[in-house]
Amino acid sequence: MYFDYAAATPLDRRVLSAMQPYFTELFYNPSAPYAPAIEVRRDYTAAKSTIAQAIGAKPDELIMTAGATESINLAFESATGHSVVTAIEHHAVLAAASRRAHTIVPVNEKGQVSPDDIRAAITDDTTIVSVALANNELGTIQPIRDIAEAVKQARTERLARGNHTPLYLHSDASQGVGQLDVSVSRLGVDLLTLNAAKMYGPKQVGLLWASSHVRLSPQIVGGGQERGLRSGTENVAGVIGFAKAIELVVTHRKHETQRLSKLRDALEARLSEAFPEAVLSGHRKHRLASHLHISFPGLDAERILFALESRGVYVATGSACAANKGTRSHVLGAIGMADEVADGSLRLTLGHLNDDASVVAAADIIIEEVRREAERVQP
Amino acid sequence: MSVVYVGMSGGVDSSLTAALLKEQGHTVVGVYMKNWTKDLPGMKCPWAEDLADAKRVAVQLGIDFKVFDFETEYKQKVVDYMIQEYRLGRTPNPDIMCNQEVKFKLFLEAALEDGADMIATGHYARVEDGQLKMAEDSTKDQTYFLYRVTKAALEKTLFPLGEHKKSDVRTMAAERGLYTATKKDSQGICFVGQIGIREFLSEYVEQTAGPIIDTQTGLTLGQHDGAIFYTLGQRHGLDIGGGLPYYVVGKDMDKNEVCVTTNLNDSQLWQTTIRLGGVHWIDSPPEPGEYHVRVRHRGTLVKATISFEDNNVRLDVTQPERAVTAGQSIVIYDGPVCLGGGIVQPL
Repeated sequence: MYFDYAAATPLDRRVLSAMQPYFTELFYNPSAPYAPAIEVRRDYTAAKSTIAQAIGAKPDELIMTAGATESINLAFESATGHSVVTAIEHHAVLAAASRRAHTIVPVNEKGQVSPDDIRAAITDDTTIVSVALANNELGTIQPIRDIAEAVKQARTERLARGNHTPLYLHSDASQGVGQLDVSVSRLGVDLLTLNAAKMYGPKQVGLLWASSHVRLSPQIVGGGQERGLRSGTENVAGVIGFAKAIELVVTHRKHETQRLSKLRDALEARLSEAFPEAVLSGHRKHRLASHLHISFPGLDAERILFALESRGVYVATGSACAANKGTRSHVLGAIGMADEVADGSLRLTLGHLNDDASVVAAADIIIEEVRREAERVQP
Repeated sequence: MSVVYVGMSGGVDSSLTAALLKEQGHTVVGVYMKNWTKDLPGMKCPWAEDLADAKRVAVQLGIDFKVFDFETEYKQKVVDYMIQEYRLGRTPNPDIMCNQEVKFKLFLEAALEDGADMIATGHYARVEDGQLKMAEDSTKDQTYFLYRVTKAALEKTLFPLGEHKKSDVRTMAAERGLYTATKKDSQGICFVGQIGIREFLSEYVEQTAGPIIDTQTGLTLGQHDGAIFYTLGQRHGLDIGGGLPYYVVGKDMDKNEVCVTTNLNDSQLWQTTIRLGGVHWIDSPPEPGEYHVRVRHRGTLVKATISFEDNNVRLDVTQPERAVTAGQSIVIYDGPVCLGGGIVQPL
């Protein structure tokens, strides 16, 4: 019973079928001049069009990458002035920002950032503002449109003062595609990162969308693929898979979001009924339907994770990266959670393979193991 | 029944140790000792995984689990000692130092302080009547690494695996469904990780090129990048290819020279008289006479006559021993009892 879809999603069988021919009979280099290769090139271009359509963009505004981390790095290395990020950004964003002057904007206890705070953090030298659409640990969704408005105001004011330094808004929307509308024009962003691996597509496949006015600096140079912005032979199978994956999640978005929301709420209800003292985090309303973040104060979440693992229930104790480093989640710190609450935090993220039965079964096991752990600590 | 704090490393041995003690009715607390590790770019630090495995097994057993942080002390007592010994041209054994200074000193003290009656580790050794004895599984016996532990510490220590064969340990761990039952045994010096001692040392000591000299001809065969990186008897890594293999037979730290030979029978490679300093006896010193000694971990036991010269111990062996290296330990046995040992002094 898998409850860690925010960390990885299983490849959809239809995605796998779509990809398979491009590993074998359609292996051609899309840059090669003969007919079968040209066909592969067409398929690749068509796949990019499918992806572009899913986010309301033009195909030539997409730079295909080897995942969200690379996309984020490309975005930050293309805007090398001061950056503004929130305190709950993914490590990839925080690390990219920390290479240069940057300001970290706090979030409230629900994990939302205030557009006014973003606005206030923008200086005359700021070139990039980066706010993830939805937080991977809490599921909290950011008011990206309002943030875009704040960035736009700052840009206008700077221009009025004769400051022509570019100012871009980047958003990593990897966590949200299956549940939220991520059309770039609606979000009002200049740069958008997506990751196929979070939507039942292959790992190491991602993209950076850049609005036509954005000037990107390539980080990987070579054969000039992706309009010279990301060299290297195209990952044809990966991008074909990405296209199929995004097509499927967008088609089933509404239904799946409702389904997940119901399952998540049922799980949440069962757990909070069993443990009234448990702390639920993340925005109650503006939250991904897949996410449930629950803390058992005074307990050791890692012990619970191992106990659940031995019973075939897989959960996270925060973001996977933070857990592996043996440090507390910076996200939970940022929402002001006390250490003893943070240490007892589980993140449950739902997806395709979860259904009523698995949620009920998992809830029973979680309740049993949390009780056992609570009794061990306080017999 | 007692409260036993078990040093759990995340390996199969210490996992089973905890399981066995719990089955015997002890109140068991698992402890992961966080020692010092060097973070090098591009190198995955294995300790986080080991810590997670140790904790996982503790959860499986339903026992308490703690992390004792000995990072600072470990760096001073074990790592700095090791680097210093290499600087002096010797080849130290950090595992022995770790047992002496960390596991059977700091850990023991911290555990007793925290409420333990005893400590336990997954070492293959036995303690009987305050004596350290070889493990039942002679191929796995680890008393070589334990000869510098004090009698007082041993009296507070349990080694449940001393009675078992390594192959049985895997089976017993699997029977109990322990997560680590099939985990590979760790290799080499823990804090050096996968990079190897040479690269590790080069982070701390300046690499200064010097000549590699053939003792048979007196000719310089090539250049090495620092005498400290070479150890007696070493064959590989000399980069003076072609023909018969060369072996290191000596080095002059002051001149930064490494001496090599192709003569497998070179007298410097073989010793019959060895002097030990820094001698440690678990109990009172033994009478001079004939005992068995082990020149390296898993080395065969060889007969040696022991006599005392001031603070040193002199060993005379009947069959010459190969590559007895300054800084290494030689451990002395009376039958199955590990009496203690000392550190090989330079010739």
